[in-house]
This record gives sequence, C-alpha cells and structure tokens, in this order.
Amino acid sequence: MAKWGMVIDLEKCTGCQACTMACGMENSRLPGEHWQDVIFYNEGEYPSPQVKWFPRPCMQCENPSCVAVCPVRATYKNEDGVVLVDWERCIGCKYCMVACPYGVRFYTEEKPAYGGPDMKQVFKGEQGRSWNPPWRMPDSKEDWKHGVGVQPHDVVSKCTFCYHRVSKAPKGTADLDPSNPALREFTPACVVTCAPSARFFGDLSNPNSEVSKMIGNKNGVRLLDHLGNKPQVYYLTGVGGAVPSNRATNKA
Amino acid sequence: MIAIREPKDFAEVFKYLGELRREVGTAEFLRICFNLGKEPSAAGTWWKLCLVLGAASGLFVLTMLITVGHASFNTSSDGINWGIAISTYVFFALTSSGLTMIAALPLVFGFRQFQPVAKRCIYLAIITLVAGFSVLALELGHPFRMLWAMPTGMQVQSPMFWMGVFYSIDLVLLIWKFYLIWQEDWDSPLAHLLGAASFVCVIFASGMLGMVFGSVAMRPMWFGSFTSIYYMLTAALSGAAAIVVTSYMAYDFNRNRMPEPLKALAESPDLPKVFATLIGIALVMILTRFWTGLWSNLDGMEGFHALVRDPLFHAEVWLGLALPFWMMLSPSMQTQPGKQLIAAFLVLGAMFINRYEFIVGGQIVPMFKGNWVSSLISYTPSLTEWALTVFGFAMALGLYALGEKVFHLSAVPDQAVYPEPAKA
Repeated sequence: MAKWGMVIDLEKCTGCQACTMACGMENSRLPGEHWQDVIFYNEGEYPSPQVKWFPRPCMQCENPSCVAVCPVRATYKNEDGVVLVDWERCIGCKYCMVACPYGVRFYTEEKPAYGGPDMKQVFKGEQGRSWNPPWRMPDSKEDWKHGVGVQPHDVVSKCTFCYHRVSKAPKGTADLDPSNPALREFTPACVVTCAPSARFFGDLSNPNSEVSKMIGNKNGVRLLDHLGNKPQVYYLTGVGGAVPSNRATNKA
Repeated sequence: MIAIREPKDFAEVFKYLGELRREVGTAEFLRICFNLGKEPSAAGTWWKLCLVLGAASGLFVLTMLITVGHASFNTSSDGINWGIAISTYVFFALTSSGLTMIAALPLVFGFRQFQPVAKRCIYLAIITLVAGFSVLALELGHPFRMLWAMPTGMQVQSPMFWMGVFYSIDLVLLIWKFYLIWQEDWDSPLAHLLGAASFVCVIFASGMLGMVFGSVAMRPMWFGSFTSIYYMLTAALSGAAAIVVTSYMAYDFNRNRMPEPLKALAESPDLPKVFATLIGIALVMILTRFWTGLWSNLDGMEGFHALVRDPLFHAEVWLGLALPFWMMLSPSMQTQPGKQLIAAFLVLGAMFINRYEFIVGGQIVPMFKGNWVSSLISYTPSLTEWALTVFGFAMALGLYALGEKVFHLSAVPDQAVYPEPAKA
C-alpha cells in the first residue's frame, strides 16, 4: 500500500491559482468552492507588512480529525492514506467541517460563495446530482463511494487527491511525476498543471521516492503541526517561503 | 357526557375520540380538537396559539427546504457551519436533560418535596427532546439516512455518535418512566431502577453533547473537558427554569389555582434555593470561561473579545442571570409568584442566548481562510432558520399544552407524605 503525499515548494509557487482552476475543472467544483485553493494573507504591520500566499489542498492527515468525528463513518481514510467521503453515507451534519483545522471541506447546499448567479439553478442537477456543470467528468469516472464527481444534494465534499486518477497508478510507483508521459494521467490535476513545477506527488512510505527525499533533505514542514493531525502535505520554505503559524487571520 | 383524563392507553384515547366525533359531528369535533376541549382553558389557548404558529412556521420551513433546500440557511462553508438551528437543538436537548435531573431530585435522591413537579418534568423532558430532535432533523442534510448509517457505521470515536446513542436511550427511558408514573407506579423496584438509569443516562448524554464541542482542539473557544461539565450544569439550570415556567403556565400563572402539594412547593423556598444555586454555578462558569478567553493570546480565542462587545451577551449575563440570581436569593422575593416567574423566564431566555452565543460564537474566528475571510465572521440567521426555531418552540409548547390537558401532570403518589415546607 502506498502512502500518498504531496510536497509543495513555496519558493517556486507564484500564487497563480492555476492549480485551483485545474482542480475545479477536473472535479466539477462550483465556482468559489475550492477543494484546492491558494490562500492570500497578510502578516505584520507597517513598516514591515508582508503579503503572502499559500497553496492549500486537503492535508490528507495521518490523524484526520474529520474521520474521528464523523458519526456515520462516511468520511474514512483509505488504504493508500487518502481521506475520502462516501456520499452515499454522508448525512450532512457538517461535524467534519467544524473539526477540520484547515477549512477544506464544503457543504453542497449553500448560497453562492461568490455572490451569484447560482450555478446550481443555472445548470440544474439531474440523476441525483446537486447540479449539472457543462464541463463535468465522464459519468464512468464518477464514484460517489469515494467522493468523486458532482456530488449529490446535502453532503460534504473535499479534495480526494484526484482519487480517480491516483488509484489507477501502477502499484509500487514511488513518484507520480507529471513530466513522465506514462504517469501523467495518474497524477493529481493540480500537480500536472502547476506551471512552475512547485508540486510533487509520491509515496511517503517509500524511502526512494523523491517526495520522501525532499522532505528529509529540504526540511519539509507541515501546516499547523502543533494540532497533531500530521498532514501528508509538506511544504518546503527555502529562504523566501513561509508556512503560516496560525489561521492566517488578519490580526491587525 | 364523555370525558377523558388520564386514559389507560392509546386505545382508550382513540375510542374516546371516535365516540366524541359520532356524538357531536365532524365540524364540532374539529372545533373541540382545535380548542383542546369543550370549555376554554389555559392549555387550550396555548395549544391553539402553538398549532397556528407551528403550522405556519413548519409549512414555511418545509416549503423552503423543498424549493430552495438548505441553501435557504445563512450557514456556509467559509462562515458559520452550525447556526441557530443547532443552538436551538442544543437548547432543547439540554433543557430536556435538566428536567430529568430535576425529576431525579424526588425520584432518585428522595427529596420528596419536589414530587409535585416530577411527572411534569418527565413529560416536559420527553417533548423538549422530541422538539430538539425535530429541529435537528430539519437541519441535517439526510436525517433518514442517519437511522441506518449510524448503527451500521459504529464510529465509536465520534462524540456525536455517542450523543445520539445516549439521547436515544434517554428518550426510551423517559417514555418508559412516564408510562410507569402514568400507571401510578412511583415506588416499585422497576420505577426506581428506571429513575436511576435515566439520571445516569442524561449525565452522559448532556456531557457527550458538550464533548461534541469540547473535543475539537482546533476550536479553542470550545476545546476542553470544561465544556462537558458546563453543559451538564447549565442543563440543570434550564431544566429548573422550564419547570417553574410551565408549572405556573398550567394554572394560568395563578398560584392559587394550583393543587395543594404543588402550591406548597411553589410557596416554599426549596425550589428557589435550587434555582439560585444553579444560576450561581452558571455565572461562575461563564465568568471563568470569559476570563481565560479574554486573557489568552492563543490563536482562535479572538471571538471572546467580539462576544463581550455583543449586547446579547450582556443581556444574558446581567438581565438573564445576575438579576434572577439576586431575586431568587432574596428571602423577600424568592417565594413571590411574580418574581419566580420573571426569574424563570429571564433564565430561559438567557439560556437560549447562551447556547447561541456558545455555538455561533465558537465559530466566528475563520478556519484558515486567509484574506478571503479576513476578519471575524458575521452571521445573522435567515428567515427559514428563525422559522425553524419558532417551529421548535411551537412544537414543545403545543405538546406541553396537550399533555397538560390529557394527563394529570401535577399528580403525586397517593401515599406521599410531605415535609412541612420551610418558611421563607
């Protein structure tokens, strides 16, 4: 079994949001409902203000609080270390959203996050889907047991590490490198699309994987590590990058 | 003339209703049902009001849920996840637990002077829990799915799972206990066992409801074992307030109409003393919670500063708790019916604000949203959410009026011997 994880090099990330767009197209996200997002935030005050950005997918935690709190076991961690939601079990209680420290879970039934028009009304859902985006993935790839595709009404959704791609990767693959044509179609969309190649995806349990080596050699750090959720997404800060030490709330 | 009071079982109820319809005709039968009896009564007035209010708010909520869905709520993934519907559920669930705790005073711990409110407490505990569950069901995305997904999932790590387990057991025990009291079985070994089991169950249920919030370390305004204790003790307070209000309500807010045992309890300082003690405990807990909250620089605690600037918070603490505390401590005021009622109403209002402020307030610091949500989150419940709250209250009050009419809720065991009420 693999233990899929991601490494994001913050010195390379330009904050272009291409990953956010690619994720939205790949996973049929509602506008504003970003499974993958680049958070912009500011720290410090005049004369030393800092404007920063920070790419934030689901952290796919080793100790996911969302899994522990789900009263119906709809959220679970699969054998490859990915946290998924079974949309056929989810009761929409939103406890996982309350318990997630990273704010990466989304409830279907909400007012438009971006102010409208409401895409769910413009593209009305069919066959149990909450809406019917014109760019949605082929029906054959939709997999509600693993939270893949356009979600039904009244459930919670989240980043799946592109489960529909990654789960098809050849067994024993150490790294899913998008520059390798043989592996590209198994690599998460955000990693494939990242123009400055700031994202890396591989097996954290494999000592020979590039991601394992990068974390070890370049001091990979995790977001809000003090909470003990142990994300499987690591960040390389180098000289110019920084991981927010708190919720990235404007304290000024 | 057909009359019904304390039917033996539901068969008797339906038999009576059938006979009544045949006797007076359908139109008159419906009028009697709407009025909850042939003669006007306090319970009948409450029933009518709640029927109209409950039907209007319930229909509105259902229409909105069918046409717009839960998007008609002002909750959001980037904002407040749990809004006023959840705080209303918590208010009812904890009031139910508190009522069971008050009922345990005579039924488990032997304080017989509280026996006149025991049956009413148990009945109210049932209907407040039912009202709470109803509000929760309308808030949940898939309430019916929960019925099979929870037992088949067996996610024993989840406090919400255990909350469901304990409140379900609690409801069954309460109904069973009420049935025994209805059958005038107050003192059998089974009645004692059920009373004790029910008390233990609500301690776990209210504590586990607290743990739903207290277990999430990433919400520091909730985190800690304090929350469970806080929920248990403030549950007892809202239960005490609810039983004072409803006991008076049953007799048109006139103590002189009460049957002797209940009147004796209302005139004695025993209930006000319990009430004042519980208000005092709640005040101390709120003080310590806000003290640490305002003092701490921990990320995520900023919400406390916003809460103390909220007029609702001050209404809760000064008007809803401090004033009733003083009223119920003062020997000259604590036994006056008007003062008891005002104190109980104020405390109930304060507890409703408290649940709202605790639950919504605990989420106002955004959870890692950067500059997309850069300041504290503002939240105002939508019309649908308010209607759902009104529906919950109409349901609880309406069912209470029905119970008041059908059952002898002030009943006491025949052989009861009452201690001389203490003089104020």
